[in-house]
Amino acid sequence: MPIASPGQRAASYWFVDGLPDIVLGTTLLFFGALGLWWCIHVPKSLPQPDFFFIAAGLTLLIWKGRNVIDFLKSRLTYPRTGYVQPPEDLSEGFRPPSTLIALNLRPGPPPDENVTHFNTRTVMVVFFWCFYLVQNPWKSWYMLLAMPVLAVALYAWNRRTERPYRWWSALILALTGALLLWLDVPPLVQPLLLPLLAGVWLVAQGACTLVGYLRANPYSRTPEGVRA
Amino acid sequence: MTPRMQEISQLDRVIHEPARLAIMLILGGAGEADFLYLQREGGFTQGNLSGHLAKLEEAGYVAIEKKFKGKVPLTVCSLTGKGRSAFAEYSNRMLGLLQSNGSSGHPAIDSGPPAIPPASPGAPPDCR
Repeated sequence: MPIASPGQRAASYWFVDGLPDIVLGTTLLFFGALGLWWCIHVPKSLPQPDFFFIAAGLTLLIWKGRNVIDFLKSRLTYPRTGYVQPPEDLSEGFRPPSTLIALNLRPGPPPDENVTHFNTRTVMVVFFWCFYLVQNPWKSWYMLLAMPVLAVALYAWNRRTERPYRWWSALILALTGALLLWLDVPPLVQPLLLPLLAGVWLVAQGACTLVGYLRANPYSRTPEGVRA
Repeated sequence: MTPRMQEISQLDRVIHEPARLAIMLILGGAGEADFLYLQREGGFTQGNLSGHLAKLEEAGYVAIEKKFKGKVPLTVCSLTGKGRSAFAEYSNRMLGLLQSNGSSGHPAIDSGPPAIPPASPGAPPDCR
């Protein structure tokens, strides 16, 4: 999808460095690993809070994730390609008349300006899918379906947003379910492997984007006096 | 002077200049942005952008503020209330002119956009 209006370009810019993916992926990895560790090492007589760790991690991400991303961006992205207001903060902001954007840029401006669907269409999709799987009796062959369903959902729901996933990237995520069947992982811990796999996938994807961004935009210090 | 020419002469010349119109559009869509982002998005040189921002600031349309993001200083620009209302008024005038000329040849304009009420300074923004 061509992103041409200033608002859409600003929203898309938020994902140019891969940092939101890396932060979400790291959260899933850390809290998924914590849940897995609990499952394996803590006696079964104690409560098994399967989903609690993932829920806690994603809640923490929604609450404080923006601060972490802003901290990282202020060191990596803003000095290289500049700062723009985070998309979600624009809820009380001003939107330029769409017709003027169309006149200035292209016909048919997007209906939404500078909005991000990352939390609703990526974070919450992972969250609810994990929740659904943990709450239902688990069979080992579920993993073969669980990962493709997650991959298709992420790909389809983000296809027309400011942060679309590539089809081959979604295909890799879908195929990881088969890998787990091949590894013969005990069914007890399989539901917790979903956030771990999604985490690895997001971190890998974010890292590739970040490396590409850093290579394309080497740091150049602008003399402060020249700035407005 | 014909009424049409009168309308044209009433266009806000501070905004009407293409580079400044681009700055207003970028800031309107993005909310706020720093100098470097504006420079890259608009394809401006440093001196050119500085000059246009100074004019917009002088007219009271753009606020330029030193901010800190994670202890890193940034020079952040944003539209003021006056800038928003001037921009809305400029848009209405411009679109009115284009429509009074019959078909503009642009689908988005020919479909007849809704009128944009000019925002009063200090009032909450009108769109979101």
